Amino acid sequence: MSNSTISGPAIPAGPEAVTSGVGRFPRLRFFFAFLRLRPSFAVGYAIVTTVVAIALLAPWLAPFGPMDANPSVYLLPPGGSHVLGTDGTGMDIFSRVLFAPRVDLAIAIVGTLLSAIIGGAIGALVGYYEGQRAWRRALSTVVMRSADVLQAFPVFVFAIALVAVFGQSVKSIILAIAFVNAPIYLRLMRVQVLSISKLRYVEAAYVAGASDVAILRRHVIPNAIAPLVAQLSINIGWSVLLTAGLSFVGAGVVAPTPEWGSMIAMGFQNIVTGQWWPSVFPGIALSITVLGFALVGASIEILADPARRRVLSGSLS
Amino acid sequence: MSSRRKLGFPLHRRDVLKGGATLAGAATLPVGWNLDAVAAAGSTLVIAAPATPQSLDCNFDVSLGTFEAIAVLYDNLLEFKKIPDPKQSGAFREDTADHPDLPAGLAIQGKLAESFELDPAGKFIRFQLRQGIKSNWGNELTADDVKWSWDRKFELGAIGAFFLSTLGLEKKDGVKVEGKYTVSINLDNPNPLLAKLQPNLYNPIYDSTKCKQESNSDDPWARKFLENNSAGFGPYRLDQLQRGQQAVFKARDDYYRGKPAMDTVVFREVPTSATRASLLQGGAVDIAQYLQPLEIIKLRGEKGVAVDSVDASFMIWLELNAQIEPFGNAKVRQAMNFAFPQEQVLKTVFQGIASPLNGCMPNIYPGFTNQFWKYKYDPEMAKALLKEAGMSSGFKTSLAYNAGDPVQEPIAILYQTALRDIGVELELRKIPPATFYNAVSERKQPIIFYVDSPWCPDVGYSMTLYFNSKSFVNYSNYKNDDVDALIRDTARTNDQAKRLEMMTTAQGTVMAEAPWVFIAFPGYHFARRANLKGFTYYTSNNIRFQDFSREA
Repeated sequence: MSNSTISGPAIPAGPEAVTSGVGRFPRLRFFFAFLRLRPSFAVGYAIVTTVVAIALLAPWLAPFGPMDANPSVYLLPPGGSHVLGTDGTGMDIFSRVLFAPRVDLAIAIVGTLLSAIIGGAIGALVGYYEGQRAWRRALSTVVMRSADVLQAFPVFVFAIALVAVFGQSVKSIILAIAFVNAPIYLRLMRVQVLSISKLRYVEAAYVAGASDVAILRRHVIPNAIAPLVAQLSINIGWSVLLTAGLSFVGAGVVAPTPEWGSMIAMGFQNIVTGQWWPSVFPGIALSITVLGFALVGASIEILADPARRRVLSGSLS
Repeated sequence: MSSRRKLGFPLHRRDVLKGGATLAGAATLPVGWNLDAVAAAGSTLVIAAPATPQSLDCNFDVSLGTFEAIAVLYDNLLEFKKIPDPKQSGAFREDTADHPDLPAGLAIQGKLAESFELDPAGKFIRFQLRQGIKSNWGNELTADDVKWSWDRKFELGAIGAFFLSTLGLEKKDGVKVEGKYTVSINLDNPNPLLAKLQPNLYNPIYDSTKCKQESNSDDPWARKFLENNSAGFGPYRLDQLQRGQQAVFKARDDYYRGKPAMDTVVFREVPTSATRASLLQGGAVDIAQYLQPLEIIKLRGEKGVAVDSVDASFMIWLELNAQIEPFGNAKVRQAMNFAFPQEQVLKTVFQGIASPLNGCMPNIYPGFTNQFWKYKYDPEMAKALLKEAGMSSGFKTSLAYNAGDPVQEPIAILYQTALRDIGVELELRKIPPATFYNAVSERKQPIIFYVDSPWCPDVGYSMTLYFNSKSFVNYSNYKNDDVDALIRDTARTNDQAKRLEMMTTAQGTVMAEAPWVFIAFPGYHFARRANLKGFTYYTSNNIRFQDFSREA
């Protein structure tokens, strides 16, 4: 493929250009070239950036307090000073939609990171020790079968059960997200570590007398982490959806905390009576956010895969 | 002219939403349900209800669907006479007023009993049963059935025990079979509720012959059988019960008052109120139960749909737990009432279809008074009371609400906002419907919603339920020795004037000490197809299928 297939200036050829030191900020230029080639991914990054910016700037952007009920203006349709209308208690939907990502993203990011750390660490240990001494093999088998059991449960039902056990709070939702996601990272890391730990440089480190912890920390985990990073973005979007879902069924964030799922739950019954705005706007915001994270995740998946990245470099050169 | 008009197809956004919602609702119906056929079926009544009966044994189950089932499968010895509802044209209601000129001072008449004789002192009541009445199993009603029904209460306890203690009936021998069709209930002490409790929905008469056939040594009172079947003298028999889906009832040809007009009743579980409303609007069901205020308002303007709104015994309030600080202090409880934006709640959440709860018992019952009501929204007064209570800087507490009741969350949010003005930080706790009643009865929440209605239209009964310190239903843990004494004395005299006087005093004390945050009388709103006639309001707040007929 020639450069004529994409508009704009000449594009550095990815990792090769980086190693050869062609141009300034070669990684960044490669990234932008990649986005020009796949504009849908650019949309994903734009959505995620915007949502994060809204979450940070909500107190300055929102015209009303997100939890200020004003019965004198209940169920106002979109327009006027209430751009997206008001809900059944007179809370401003625009302000609440702006504040919601603070809760949704915070829960999703913390929960997902927690699951990646826990799942990744266990996966690394299991993968590293698999095939070694008998009791370690047995332990590895127990861990993997336990993960099978966890993953056999429908994720949403499992999350509801966990929230019911831990009690209804933000902390519980984060724990539930971490718990249901951890097996994903455990498997990903285990598979990576299984292949990497058999490579020569790992064996060399072992022969040189490095401890297991040092080998894992310096040589194995850094080389195995790329797929986990790709999975993170996808999982954050999914966790936003799970958080909203839990709130929708009443097992998540408690009203009137601004949260998209909770807002949809508070307003969906009004659709039949003609007041669609309390639930539709948070629903749209939720859909766009999840789409954004899914697109970013898909792009990272490509960028983190050396083989696909090489193909991409070929396309861009 | 809009493009849709040019096309001759006046499809509006609202129509699309409406149609979509109806289809969504219809999608919840079982395969094979033909909506057109249902709507056209003259003698079939289709009801969209939030839940099907869980158990058919009214000694243990108080779920919504069970109320309706018990009301049509069983009959009682007595009933209140019906009168046209004074506010809702075409609707009827029980005449629960005091009638000093009538026997027992009540507009009460025989149902399974042909006649009754009440001791003026209130120590016994004797029933002469109708002869030739058959149960749904073909067994004739006799005095033994009445005796067995009361004996079952003694043996199984639970709800039955509540009736026994309310009447002060301490021994099985108190219920005497005096002949094949004559039976009496005899008390050691006078009780003013002896006649009034007979029409109670949960005080029916069982077909003891059938029940005994279904009993065994492990289950001598036919619990297993009555959970899933009926053995009664009511106008319907159970044809099918699929819990979580539907119950089907068939009218009995041999019912002693004549076969009901509605031959078949399909009682369908439709959990979402919006879907129930859509199904009614689309003509797929005849009755949609327990709708939200906005849906009721909307349905009132729909063609082919009618909504009957009547005053009811329902009340909704917040229990302020007197055993959790700071609610042991009456001044704090008063402040919580002055800080409650009742008017705004009635306007926004209830859409104006409820009335203010300005007393501590149903306003439709004799003896109710609102003369002690003083809690009009006044945040300054609330602040002053908190200051008097030594809490001028406010405090932090929590309010638990039922996730399954759509009005509770918005009320909680409005209250939370209002309380911020007086420095009270209110944390909201959403409790799943399945565990909400447990949360109420555990009495561990500082503040919790409660919706209830005393089924017996009596001032003493109502006050006993909620404010007697020994009552199980006194979920606010309210205790006042004077109120307890008044309640006790009211239960021991048959002098109605004296009872009313004592209970007025008790209401004054309770209202002043404010164990509740008083919210609303939600009323009873019955949404139906316009051609369905016969709606009658009962103090148990449930419908009875035998009341209905369809206009041609």
